[in-house]
Amino acid sequence: MLSIVVAGFAAWLTLDAPLAKLVPQEGGLRIAREFFARAVTPALDYESPVPESTPHILIQALAAARRTLVFAAAGMSLALVLGIVLGFFATSAWWAGESSGGTSPLRRALARTVGPAVWTVSRVLIVVMRSVHELLWAVLFLAAFGLNTGGAVAAIAIPYGGTLAKIYSEMIEEAPRDAALALRGAGAGPVQVFFFALVPRAGPDLAAYTFYRFECAVRSAAVLGFFGFPTLGYAIAQSFENLHYGEVWTYMYALILLVVAIEVWSGALRRRFVA
Amino acid sequence: MNSSARPLSTSVSCADPEAWRQARPGSAAFELHGAGVVYSGRAALAEASLVVDPGEALALVGPSGAGKTTLLRLLNASIAPTTGSVCVDYRRLDALDAAALRAVRARIGFVHQDLALIPNYRVLANVVAGSLGRMSFAASVRAMLFPRGADVERAAAILERVGIGEKLYQRTDSLSGGQRQRVALARALYQEPSALLLDEPVSSVDPARARDLVDLVADISRERGLTLVVSIHDIELARTFFPRLVGLRGGRIVFDGPTASIGARDLAALYSLDGLERVEPARIA
Repeated sequence: MLSIVVAGFAAWLTLDAPLAKLVPQEGGLRIAREFFARAVTPALDYESPVPESTPHILIQALAAARRTLVFAAAGMSLALVLGIVLGFFATSAWWAGESSGGTSPLRRALARTVGPAVWTVSRVLIVVMRSVHELLWAVLFLAAFGLNTGGAVAAIAIPYGGTLAKIYSEMIEEAPRDAALALRGAGAGPVQVFFFALVPRAGPDLAAYTFYRFECAVRSAAVLGFFGFPTLGYAIAQSFENLHYGEVWTYMYALILLVVAIEVWSGALRRRFVA
Repeated sequence: MNSSARPLSTSVSCADPEAWRQARPGSAAFELHGAGVVYSGRAALAEASLVVDPGEALALVGPSGAGKTTLLRLLNASIAPTTGSVCVDYRRLDALDAAALRAVRARIGFVHQDLALIPNYRVLANVVAGSLGRMSFAASVRAMLFPRGADVERAAAILERVGIGEKLYQRTDSLSGGQRQRVALARALYQEPSALLLDEPVSSVDPARARDLVDLVADISRERGLTLVVSIHDIELARTFFPRLVGLRGGRIVFDGPTASIGARDLAALYSLDGLERVEPARIA
């Protein structure tokens, strides 16, 4: 804790009081006023002429919100698979407690080496996946594959998979082991113990965290639009470049609505299954 | 009676590779031969020798920290002894591979002191979890997520037998302590065990319920021919329901014999203050 505070002070000194620069210039202040003034009057129609065939802006916003959700869901579902598989291998709880009583020396030697080796490899993989932000993954995939839907999905799935795996394994390690010991004592194997005693014991936390990450995935998918993927970010970037602040707010409200809707949905699910 | 452990049975040697084939299928036999368990430098159990015949019912008595839980965990192969050996159904456990060890554990129902249920599961799922030890992973996914009608009926019948038949579909954490204890018992029975081991089943419920529960467990064990080993610090309950008492103190077996032969002096010695942090003099007859 203290070291974080010390590092914080050092950072502020190095950066030469960045907050002072936040006092805006005359021109910047005018733009900011103009922008925030439109928050209460988001555009209900396009602010410049558009081709006949263009759908109404609200339809456009809804369609972009739907595409944002689709990107987020696609990325998240892949991340979920990665998170569960890597989370399983990065958890020591299901093999570390395995009694060696009666097993052959070869098996015991294997348990001592293979378990920790798999654990270490998964941990390293998780760190690599997580340490690169989804936007950097997106840049990487853009450079490699061009504007490819799969690239956007993978850009979300890889860092999110790593994060899910890390948090899942930590939650499972910290969950009470009583039921796991009981099922092992009733002859259940390590994989059964993992899925039917350790995971359910951490279940409510796992579910809550997964929903939170889904929300994050929606925001990430929106931001990926700035690279040209057809999500809300794309619409926001375009309107912003044209100084159509009203339109920007229309799309922003669509994003906020989307996140609120997910929150309400996850809350309802949690009340039904967890509380 | 002031004897130490009674002499070990010589008719069936634990190491005899053929004797276990004659083991009674419905009731387990246990043997400890000079078994000791050391937890991080401290001896939890030392030189314990004990023979439990198939279908027998006995109570482990003694103050907390005497080694009762450790002894029970040895019997269901949850832990391996540091010294000596353990036999279940006339087979030495240290000679078994992992799969055979799982098969032994699957035949022994264990009701833990803290119950070790999954609170956010329905009662049905907690009970069905008792059968995982006999299943492949694929079969267990099916049994846990989509239990077949026959499984549900069997779970319902067991819950009925332990007195909470109507709780089948309730969430486990919505039940009272006494009801949860019966769920744990039902899970152990769902294993179709040949022995029941109970660790301090009366510590978490009031005396009247405790009596009911011990009565129920003794009844079920008789009815199904299960070998029954219960650790219990309430001497009166132990004397009422168990024909044989094994006293533990400081990790050692200090007496072992028919209940009628265990006198007040044995019990007084078991719970005397010397070297013990906690005693319960009021419970001594």
